Amino acid sequence: MGEFPSTRRRRRARGLFAAACGAAAIALTAAACSSGGSSNGGAAATPTGTPVTGGTATFALPPSTVPNYIFPFDSSTYFSVTNSEDFQYLLYRPLYWFGNGSSPTLNASLSVADPPVYSGNKVTITMKDWKWSNGTPVTAQNVLFWIHMMQAVASSDWGAFVPGGFPTNVSNVTATSATTLTMTMNKAYNETWFTSNELSQITPMPEAWDRTASGPSHCTTTVSDCAAVYSYLDGQSKQLSSWAGSPIWSIVDGPWRLSSFNSDGNSTFVPNKAYSGPVKAKLAQFQEVPFTTESAEYNVLQAKGTGGSQIDVGYLPTIDAPPTSSPMVAGHNPVSGYNLSPLYTWGINYFPLNYQSTTGNAGIVKQLYFRQALQYLMNQAAVIKGPLKGYGLPTVGPVGTLPLSGVSYLSPTGKQGDPWPYNPTKAKSLLTAHGWNVVPGGTTTCTHPGTAATDCGAGIKQGQALSFTLPYATGTTWIEQEMTQLQSNAAGAGIKLSLDPRPFNQVTALAAGNCVVAHISCNWDMGNWGGGWTFVPDYYPTGETLFLSGSGANSGGYTNAQNDSLINATLTSNSVQSLYNWQDYLAQQIPVIWQPNGVYQLTEVVDNLGGVTPQSTTLNINPENWFFTK
Amino acid sequence: MIGFLIRRLLQAAIVVLIVTVIVFILLRSIPGNVAVAILGPSAYRNPATLAQFNAQYGFDKPWYSQYLLWLGHLLQGNLGFSWTLDQSVASLLGQRLPKTIILVGLSTLIALIIAVPIGVWQAVRRNKPVDYTFTGLSFLFYAAPTFFVGTVLILVFSVKLGWFGPEAPQGGIVSDFTDWRDLTLPVVTLALVTIALFSRYMRSSVLDNITEDYVRTARAKGASRRRVLWRHVMRNSLIPIATLLGLSIPGILSGALITESVFNYPGMGYLFYQSAQKQDYPTMLGFIIVVAIATVVGSLVADILYAVLDPRVRYA
Repeated sequence: MGEFPSTRRRRRARGLFAAACGAAAIALTAAACSSGGSSNGGAAATPTGTPVTGGTATFALPPSTVPNYIFPFDSSTYFSVTNSEDFQYLLYRPLYWFGNGSSPTLNASLSVADPPVYSGNKVTITMKDWKWSNGTPVTAQNVLFWIHMMQAVASSDWGAFVPGGFPTNVSNVTATSATTLTMTMNKAYNETWFTSNELSQITPMPEAWDRTASGPSHCTTTVSDCAAVYSYLDGQSKQLSSWAGSPIWSIVDGPWRLSSFNSDGNSTFVPNKAYSGPVKAKLAQFQEVPFTTESAEYNVLQAKGTGGSQIDVGYLPTIDAPPTSSPMVAGHNPVSGYNLSPLYTWGINYFPLNYQSTTGNAGIVKQLYFRQALQYLMNQAAVIKGPLKGYGLPTVGPVGTLPLSGVSYLSPTGKQGDPWPYNPTKAKSLLTAHGWNVVPGGTTTCTHPGTAATDCGAGIKQGQALSFTLPYATGTTWIEQEMTQLQSNAAGAGIKLSLDPRPFNQVTALAAGNCVVAHISCNWDMGNWGGGWTFVPDYYPTGETLFLSGSGANSGGYTNAQNDSLINATLTSNSVQSLYNWQDYLAQQIPVIWQPNGVYQLTEVVDNLGGVTPQSTTLNINPENWFFTK
Repeated sequence: MIGFLIRRLLQAAIVVLIVTVIVFILLRSIPGNVAVAILGPSAYRNPATLAQFNAQYGFDKPWYSQYLLWLGHLLQGNLGFSWTLDQSVASLLGQRLPKTIILVGLSTLIALIIAVPIGVWQAVRRNKPVDYTFTGLSFLFYAAPTFFVGTVLILVFSVKLGWFGPEAPQGGIVSDFTDWRDLTLPVVTLALVTIALFSRYMRSSVLDNITEDYVRTARAKGASRRRVLWRHVMRNSLIPIATLLGLSIPGILSGALITESVFNYPGMGYLFYQSAQKQDYPTMLGFIIVVAIATVVGSLVADILYAVLDPRVRYA
């Protein structure tokens, strides 16, 4: 399980209009920025005043996104950051909360249950003494309610469902008491993996939700009742105008409850006085406001309350980002009165190569030397320094390079940096050593077909050219610049890349799925939608979703028995070494072309608001931690 | 007149029907995969959901079957359901249409009130400094992209001077009027461009009429210059403006995408942009229906206004 960041409707929103409007804004605001900006470079500063209780903090939603689903059982249609992390999680807490500062790890304090206890293929979950806002306790039966609903409808209506994954890998689940739930899996799994990637999906649901239009139902005890309950709750969730006053949605166990909402996306939350968690809200209100574009949000940010519009936590359009020499530290903030803080997602970025291509180039793509050559031509350092203005992290393999505290998912080898730094000479040597007549700027052809070590390799014909079409998603400036740079670098090594700019949806429709498994066209060699993958809600970065043979999201259909074996080991071994073994192996295999993980958001925090940073790389927000100062 | 109206209404119905067929075919011809666009690329994790989506919404059927299904729903008053905004299309149009009518309608009305006198004044003062000044301004505002004008206005009047809000009112319809300071800049942005357009037409039309025989005749019969201008020339000169107004109706209903985006105002134009981005076909088709009907109605209104303004026009 995991998520394409673009699916989370973040990067895509900074598309056509961000580019069009932003271009004007950057020119027009130059004078204002240079004269009005304060020296707030670096990480977001902590306010120095005295914390006060009360006040209303306003949070700018990502551009072109609004919450449109309140039921925390999101189907693929509604599975987004704006619905889950920005909205539902404020009201309904997941069983296990992930996000410890900037690390995507289990936060026992914010979780509704104690950390799970494993014994072989059994896991025991003990609930804490939390209560719903209607006074009833959050029980093991509430967890069972969720699991039963998953068993009934997950394959069609749960957005994070993966065939063979949770809950199909659970053979038995029982609530032995109000506070204890035991689960038997079909085999013993890696405990970290099962907690981080499977139990992480669960959100307890109150008993009052176990109903249909005709009255109370019994999904908590009877799985066959759950489809009707789901249908009822789904229908209720589609009545957006009734959310704030709904007797169903007003029962919460999170730190907030919804006091008003309109379908344009304006939401107001007030503290849930009955919240059982460790940190009670200090703000009197928390508001979320929608924006059409980054530029529209930036206008409001700059206007600082003129006309009643005020943003306390917003974002700087990436096109206006001040250059930085360190990806984790913001440059000079062009907006005075705010502190700037970069936010990265816990993920990796890459673009797939199609091993199942029907263009005739599959034979080339399958050659490791060719993938190595192409990776040598991807100049990640230059992309980070140039188009990304310093706000990017290199991708060195299937595990993200984001610095974490408390855990180390990135192997010691991975920490040594990009194993394939830009080197056109090596790229050319690799091709020449494998039977290609390299013609820089021209057409490189195979002169030694065959399968010997110095031949082009299986499936490659005499005279076959190194020529590929590369569709990529438009709308993200740095991706467009990166693609042009790669095309130029590749041409220098005799590889012809014909760039094919297309709308995001067209690129993902073409290249984001395993064409054989999904029964879609395989007539493509490579494709770049720009977003890679974010590990949410599969926080432990194993590869069963992206790189296991036959997986639906294994975009290019990469298949490698040793890789499969190493992935399976990560799912069952409790040692993090199994994760290291797998990632070190796959990093060398280059199943996809690794590209930089660009900054997700440059967050602007008004300078009298504390508690906002460090931001969560799982994209959760915790406004209950926020406070104003005077 | 009634016969004319009946004929035109029948023609309008046929035109709208043809428009829906063409648009439906064009939408289905867009490359990509609707299920992936709606469910997101992560739906590839579970490819069965893609097939399920296609079956549920009829995308596994030929386009004509899909069209007939949609048309059948439309004739029952059901415009469909937006997959991406999680509301019925009728409800979305009901929310966005009034907002757009206020924004674009108000700006058109203001533009009309200002542009007509300016056009007349320019014609009367032809080749004088006043004429050159307004001609220059008209060219400037007509040539300037809306997002540029809007951004300049925000920077000057909101960010620098703090007189008006940087975004349009964010509440319901009532707030559009109570928060007039927030509505000012988007209305002015649109009005400036529209004034430039209308005033050029008006100037040209008055210049054409002012040299007509009937003007000389009226003056020869002793009518004052003012009376000739406002009673005779004005009426005839408004005919092209009536055409423009009629053709503005679809624009008033379809919204102003750029201005809505710059001023964070979720109207019809922005709705269409959002739905196009996500291949949200039901919303796009609902929008097209509204614009198609508005276009034929606008054309009809323009024809009727001709008859009102010019008695020589007969619709027998």
